[in-house]
Amino acid sequence: MMIRVEGINKIFNEGTPQAFEALKSIDLEVAKGETMILSGVSGSGKSTLLSLIAALDKPSSGKIVVEGELISKLPDLHASAYRAKSIGFIFQHFNLLESLSVEENVIAPLINSGFDIVSIKQMAAKSMQSAAISHKASQQVKELSGGEKQRCAIARALVHEPELIICDEPTANLDRENSLKFIEILQSLHQRGKTIIVATHDPLFETLPFVSKVVHMEDGSIV
Amino acid sequence: MPSRILMNNAFLHFLTLLLFKQKGKHIGAVLISVIIIFLLSSVLFISSSLQNTLLGTLENQSDFTLSRVQAGKAINTPSDWLDKVLEINGISKVAPRVYGRYFFTPREKSFLVVGVDLFDEQSSKELQSLVKGLDLKSFLSTDSMLVGEGVKAFLSEHYYKDSFSFKTPQGSFKKVKIQQTLPSQTNLIANDMIIMSIDLAREVFGLGEDEVTDITFNVPNDAEWDNIIGKLHLLFYDVRVVEKREIRKAYENLYNYKGGLFLILYLVAMVTFMLILYQRYSMVYSTERKEIGILRAVGWSIKDILKLKFYETAVVVLVSFVLGVALAYLYVFIWDAPLLSQIFLGGANLPNQVEFVPVLEFGLLGSIFLFYAIPFLAAVLIPAWKIAVTPPKEAML
Amino acid sequence: MNEILLSNEVIVYLLSETVLYLLLFIAFISTLGLLRKWNFDAFTTEQFALENRSYLVMTIIFFVMLLKVVLLPYFVYTIDNLSNLIPGAMCGAGVVKANEYGNPLLSLKIIILFLSGLWLSMNSIDLKEKSYPYLKLKSWFFILIFLLLSSEFILDILYFTHIETTNPVSCCSVIFGQTGGGNGLPFGLDILKLLILFYLLFALVVLTTLSDLAVMSIIASLLFGVIAYYAVVYFFGTYIYELPTHLCPFCMLQDHYYYVGYLLWGLLMLGVFLTIDAAVMQSFFKQPSKSLKRISLLLLSLFVLLCSAYVTVYYLKNGVFL
Repeated sequence: MMIRVEGINKIFNEGTPQAFEALKSIDLEVAKGETMILSGVSGSGKSTLLSLIAALDKPSSGKIVVEGELISKLPDLHASAYRAKSIGFIFQHFNLLESLSVEENVIAPLINSGFDIVSIKQMAAKSMQSAAISHKASQQVKELSGGEKQRCAIARALVHEPELIICDEPTANLDRENSLKFIEILQSLHQRGKTIIVATHDPLFETLPFVSKVVHMEDGSIV
Repeated sequence: MPSRILMNNAFLHFLTLLLFKQKGKHIGAVLISVIIIFLLSSVLFISSSLQNTLLGTLENQSDFTLSRVQAGKAINTPSDWLDKVLEINGISKVAPRVYGRYFFTPREKSFLVVGVDLFDEQSSKELQSLVKGLDLKSFLSTDSMLVGEGVKAFLSEHYYKDSFSFKTPQGSFKKVKIQQTLPSQTNLIANDMIIMSIDLAREVFGLGEDEVTDITFNVPNDAEWDNIIGKLHLLFYDVRVVEKREIRKAYENLYNYKGGLFLILYLVAMVTFMLILYQRYSMVYSTERKEIGILRAVGWSIKDILKLKFYETAVVVLVSFVLGVALAYLYVFIWDAPLLSQIFLGGANLPNQVEFVPVLEFGLLGSIFLFYAIPFLAAVLIPAWKIAVTPPKEAML
Repeated sequence: MNEILLSNEVIVYLLSETVLYLLLFIAFISTLGLLRKWNFDAFTTEQFALENRSYLVMTIIFFVMLLKVVLLPYFVYTIDNLSNLIPGAMCGAGVVKANEYGNPLLSLKIIILFLSGLWLSMNSIDLKEKSYPYLKLKSWFFILIFLLLSSEFILDILYFTHIETTNPVSCCSVIFGQTGGGNGLPFGLDILKLLILFYLLFALVVLTTLSDLAVMSIIASLLFGVIAYYAVVYFFGTYIYELPTHLCPFCMLQDHYYYVGYLLWGLLMLGVFLTIDAAVMQSFFKQPSKSLKRISLLLLSLFVLLCSAYVTVYYLKNGVFL
């Protein structure tokens, strides 16, 4: 996945006294199949940058091009299609639908994809297996442990076989054992040729062999 | 096209999931909706059933009723008018009637006493089919009468078990035996009615042999109607002719009017309900906002969320509607609407209990549906939109 | 007037129209805001909010149009019911003629439905693009439609408040037929020429649609719509009523004719609309749609079939034409 970030600025609460510059003139490139780590403390702008790349939010200026397509200015219909097709986002706080089961969470991204429910369930089964959470498929998410929720989130992020995987502080709420398991999954994804961006301040990630680039962020800029 | 149906399959699957897991969210709206629809439908069912029954009986009546007037009021009509009316071409089935209101005691309840010419084949046949098992012979041999249920109950209360003595205008008493009670299906019209032979009725009201209350007749060819009315006015200077179609229109107007008045009052309740709905669905509980944000984050577009909300609401509307109408149907047509029926029948001359004849018109159901669904959907539209445009990132935090 | 306003159907109808008009008014105000401040290239929160606003407008229009499609037959049903209260009216035709607002109101309703349908098609094309290219056009178009909608709403109120139950109205045979004197057909056509035109225009619509001659098919379908109306009232209708002098577009909506009128007019209107829609989308927005064309032709064919069926069945049953 060729990602090109050019001159991205993001200002929250623009024009008000609480205006806050979260990102200042960011330039970045990620090649296809690369695994990139965004490191930095909380508040350095990592999450903001990730959400811009995933078209979850729009920048104040600048542009982001993904696989030749300008995604920074997409109307909603296209932005959601882009997310639904190309992005697998794993959130820091998992962001699962608590009242639904694991399987029901995993199929959520595919509901509007045009596939019939049978195919969707098959894809979900495959994804849950690769995330090692199949045994909990019908269990309600609110009854799962942190590590299990993480795996459910992974299954959901991968169910539509996206090319770009984005993780925001994935191991922040996990113990060491589960963190290592997570890294294993990332490795297998890398081996399958996926492009991966991880925002983290977990030192475990900095020395991984398959990581091709580490970018440090501080106060909204790359240092 | 096939894939669209299949897509709906997945969508509907997910929709059902969400609805079941989030029942609590909608229970309140469903409950209030069902009550509102139930009340509205019950009233409209009763009203339309009554209207149907009344218009049905009206159909069997003659086209015209003719009576003598004096100072603008109807008075006893001379019986020799009958022959003169018979002479007019185009008139058929001329029949004299004797009837009136008999007041139990002055300013108290009254009975509608109707005299029937039992020697007229047509009349006696009709009577026999109305009151099954009527022993015509014994009815004719002694002074007897048939009474409506309300009359029977009233007389029993006043210790008149088997007969009643009418006080005639001449001051004498006429004792009449209660032969039978009219069937309860006739309660709507016959509750306070007494049927007796025409001569007996004459006695009760002090009418002479040469008098009747009014004369009814039919005119089969409706093109002749205006013509014949003209002729009658020429024949008798003091006549009043009432057409059945005027009565029909008056009935329909009455029901329109009453029904409409009710609806308007109901509007007030509806407006309040809609405001409450708007408030309720506007209170974007943080959990719902978060959930929608999550869906948006994994690729649901605003359109998809709107579709979800729309179908959700549609289900609530449909379920409430079906439940409300079904309950109303049971209440009115199976249980005969205790309490509510008194709004329509209460205050009548004598206490009445009517069995409602089921009348189901799609137009009526359609009206109820539109009256409820349109304001409901309109009230929920803006809150639904507000929540659908939740920016995915904001709702995640 | 009171009996009219207090009849159930009229109350429900006017209530619905009022609620919908309120929503449309909100959409109108939002559209004005959109027109003034829209700037797709801006990255301000205001612009993002405007994009969200545009979703409100399209949701309202979609919802309202859906309901107006339901309200049109309901309006006709209401009018038909009112014929019981108005002397001389035996069906909706007399009620529509009860005052001078009836006909314009009915025609306006149909026009509004057509235009709203076009708006929705235009909207879905706009959404598919990546920069909302038709936003300004859409907005002005909606402003136009809103003006028509306001007129419709005013006419609604005027119409229902001016129906007198004391003035007798003419029955359909007088309004449409020979008893009123004179030929009701336009351009001095007679029945035979009308029928030839009917079938010819139908063939023309089919041909122009299938060969993608967009502008021609618009003209052809509009003409067909008009001619079809006359053909149904003056010829096919008589076979539905099985009476050569019974000329009326409303009576066939009643239950003794199995409500076939709703089907007939529905097929015609939907068929003509979809043909025009497909043609407009193709010629102005370069978005041809095979399935849309197929459906529209299917509907129109069903319509023509239904009309012809009544005639054929009558002939087969009775051996003669009326």
